[in-house]
Amino acid sequence: MAATRRLQKELQDLRSSGIRAFRDVQVDESNILYWVGLIVPDNPPYNKGAFKIEINYPAEYPFKPPKIIFKTKIYHPNIDEKGQVCLPIISAENWKPATKTEQVIQALVALVNDPEPDHPLRADLAEEFVKDKRKFIKNAEDFTRKHSEKRPAD
Amino acid sequence: MSEELHTLHLVVEKSSISTNPSKLLKPNPYVEICVDGQTNSVRKTEVKRSTSNPEWQEPFSLVVRPTSALCLKVLDHSVLRTTHKLIGEGKFNLIDILRQHNGKISSVSLHLDLKHGSTKVGTLVIKMDGLRIDMNQPAFRLPVPPASHAVVDPAVVVNTGPENPTNGDNIMPPPSLQNNNVAATPRATPPPRPPAPVIPRDNSNEPLPPGWEVRYDEYGRRYYVDHNTRSTTWERPEPLPQGWEMRRDPRGRIYYVDHNTRSTTWQRPSSERLAHYNNWQGMRSHILEQGERRFLYPQQTILHGEQETDNLGPLPEGWEKRTRPDGKVYFVNHKNCTTQWEDPRTQGTFETPVSNEPLPQGWEVRLTEDGVRYFVDHNTRTTTFVDPRGGSVAGPGIYGVPLAYERSFKWKICQFRYLCQSNALPSHIKITVGRGTLFEDSFHQIMRHPAYELRRRLYIIFRGEEGLDYGGVAREWFLLLSHEVLNPMYCLFEYANKNNYNLQINPASYVNPDHLHYFKFIGRFIAMALYHGRFIYSAFTMPFFKRMLNKKLVTKDIESIDPEFYNSLCWIRDNNIDECGLELFFAVDFELLGQVLHHELKEAGDSIRVDETNKEEYIKMMTEWRMTRGIEEQTKSFLEGFNEVVPLEWLKYFDERELELLLCGMQEIDVDDWARNTIYRHYTRNSKQITWFWQFVKSMDNEKRARLLQFACGTCRVPVGGFAELMGSNGPQRFCIEKVGKETWLPRSHTCFNRLDLPPYKNYEQLVEKLSFAIEETEGFGQE
Repeated sequence: MAATRRLQKELQDLRSSGIRAFRDVQVDESNILYWVGLIVPDNPPYNKGAFKIEINYPAEYPFKPPKIIFKTKIYHPNIDEKGQVCLPIISAENWKPATKTEQVIQALVALVNDPEPDHPLRADLAEEFVKDKRKFIKNAEDFTRKHSEKRPAD
Repeated sequence: MSEELHTLHLVVEKSSISTNPSKLLKPNPYVEICVDGQTNSVRKTEVKRSTSNPEWQEPFSLVVRPTSALCLKVLDHSVLRTTHKLIGEGKFNLIDILRQHNGKISSVSLHLDLKHGSTKVGTLVIKMDGLRIDMNQPAFRLPVPPASHAVVDPAVVVNTGPENPTNGDNIMPPPSLQNNNVAATPRATPPPRPPAPVIPRDNSNEPLPPGWEVRYDEYGRRYYVDHNTRSTTWERPEPLPQGWEMRRDPRGRIYYVDHNTRSTTWQRPSSERLAHYNNWQGMRSHILEQGERRFLYPQQTILHGEQETDNLGPLPEGWEKRTRPDGKVYFVNHKNCTTQWEDPRTQGTFETPVSNEPLPQGWEVRLTEDGVRYFVDHNTRTTTFVDPRGGSVAGPGIYGVPLAYERSFKWKICQFRYLCQSNALPSHIKITVGRGTLFEDSFHQIMRHPAYELRRRLYIIFRGEEGLDYGGVAREWFLLLSHEVLNPMYCLFEYANKNNYNLQINPASYVNPDHLHYFKFIGRFIAMALYHGRFIYSAFTMPFFKRMLNKKLVTKDIESIDPEFYNSLCWIRDNNIDECGLELFFAVDFELLGQVLHHELKEAGDSIRVDETNKEEYIKMMTEWRMTRGIEEQTKSFLEGFNEVVPLEWLKYFDERELELLLCGMQEIDVDDWARNTIYRHYTRNSKQITWFWQFVKSMDNEKRARLLQFACGTCRVPVGGFAELMGSNGPQRFCIEKVGKETWLPRSHTCFNRLDLPPYKNYEQLVEKLSFAIEETEGFGQE
């Protein structure tokens, strides 16, 4: 497959870079277009848990951007109930074939740590985030405790 | 009785009617077919004139139950009466025929006695086909799934090859199924839509439809085996929607019947395809209304004029000019009882702009025997119908640029019409279609004639509406049928992308085993529209028009059909790629119906790395591949069909945008609505360049406005709801004028964002000159 070599290299680089906020990257070597991994945020209210994501690469990668889906429920203004996330770096207008998964992950982790209420996918959460930050933090923490994955030991 | 519905193929062959010797005239017979007394779905054959031994050979597809009663009436068509006289009728019960043939009706001929009351008045011969009923089942129910209940031998599944698109297998199997014990990482097949967030299709907990099974290939990828059809697919099957049924045709091919709409399709229906279908169907109501508003050059100016003022001399013999109550003028041809809007004296012709300029040295004008003007070039001893003075008249035109740049579209149409006229054939060709079976009927009739016959004057009849004295029938047929070819259930064409509603060939069309025949048919049909000067409903994509003109496709052409892909190619072109780890090779993949297809751009391309030294070649090869992938055979068939009716070289006068205007017509463009729905970047509504811009647009004629719109937005048509509904490649996108560059630059456009880059010109004249130049010049510069 045309994208194989590129993705193998990206995977290697990603693993050797040792990003602490993205762990347990699993790729079936036979289907390199489908990755899963664990987002481990540093900032409250999400630093009490971890979040599983799925990365789908199109056959035409890197001509077309990958797609990211949260598999773990998360209380976040920029991630909706279906796990869709609006990430500018992989949008149609901004995508560049030189963009690496590592950069995409970094952008994603930054978004999880610091929500952008100006571009929300969930307007209700964005409003709460802006108007009553305390309540938002509390709700998000409760939600994280209830739904998120266990954080890795180290 | 809730019995299964089936499709019965019935051919009305011929009849012999015992005529009453006391009557002088022979009847004009036609046949009406009625199933179970349902008068609202009666089917009719053509009318045969003055014969007691009519032969029709007309095929019909009827929806029947095994117990249906069929009644075939032979009637005598009369122009004078609305109810036609019954000659005789024949009736039979399908179940009797099924019993005689053990449940299988395959090429069964039937001689029916025609009776009027109790008197036998003749016979009618029909042939039936394609019905298979298990007579052992109570109430003759069809077993579902049919025939192949047994678990399929995996080897059989492996051998259903995807390579040959014509072999009738309509779902592609995964490449290899030998080893299915590897632990799996299932891969959700990404929907082919560009935007980043994607809705995960998580229906993995729902049970599979009956007869389906999950397996894993040697790479651990999940795929699905359909034991009903002995085929495999990557995509998880959704159960068939309500009212749908899977069937097998006499050649064993699987198809799907939608009893809700009594229609069939080759491709398994999914919720996405059904949504697309509903959207397509929703457009139906607009077709004719939209079509009414299209024009090229309004001839009304002539038509509205009084008889005395039109200076065209008397009408040809047998013609009459009439006026509708609303004042619209039309023309009646009493010879073949048709009407039309066009004046027969000017039909197909436009007044050739008379040039006062002398001919070039060594040229001479002559007339043919038929009085047609042609030109002799004594320098080269050649002749031509093309006026050597052409559109390349020197001196400034009305828009301030040399006339050479103001391509005279009128003049080109005139040349094209001239070619059509000089190759016209006498008499007419009759095409009879049913409204419910428009596509099939048109297909059979257009394909059974030799192509040149399609140049005869068209006489279109909607079955059951014979004798309606209305000139718009042909126009209606072209609009309706051109919309019909886009029926998503035929899988032949698709929208270019979510926001580009122009048509392109669907690379998955091979799921329809006869697709190449259909493309040839559509090629003929589109050529007929051009030849007869009629409009079609939707346009094709610009790259497709360019292909028709045999023009080289360039990278820029990708933008309108796949902006994401285009942007990536441009990025590679514009950046140094040696240091950024692209890991590109001269090989490429794309996904079609859930299968990834691999292609090497050149020999051993898999091992040739793309770098700064060879990227030009790579971009060139990628462009070519992107524009042709999966559609080459279909395109060839289309062009072949087209060329049979209108030789492709006749199009040489036009560029791709003119071809679109010619085929789809223009619409009145409301400048106020346009201006109201325009946004500005680095300009304001009151900037002087913006004032000049709208001043210039207001001064333009409609053709020029259409061309400006085409240049800036890639379409010559305004959406149904006006400019507020203009779409870009990422959803609704209003027209935008942005200040870019210096006054020496030409304006540029970004059609997928409906954006015009307008440099800050110094004065009105300069703006007019640059903008006209950019609009008129299609190739090379302007668009970027």
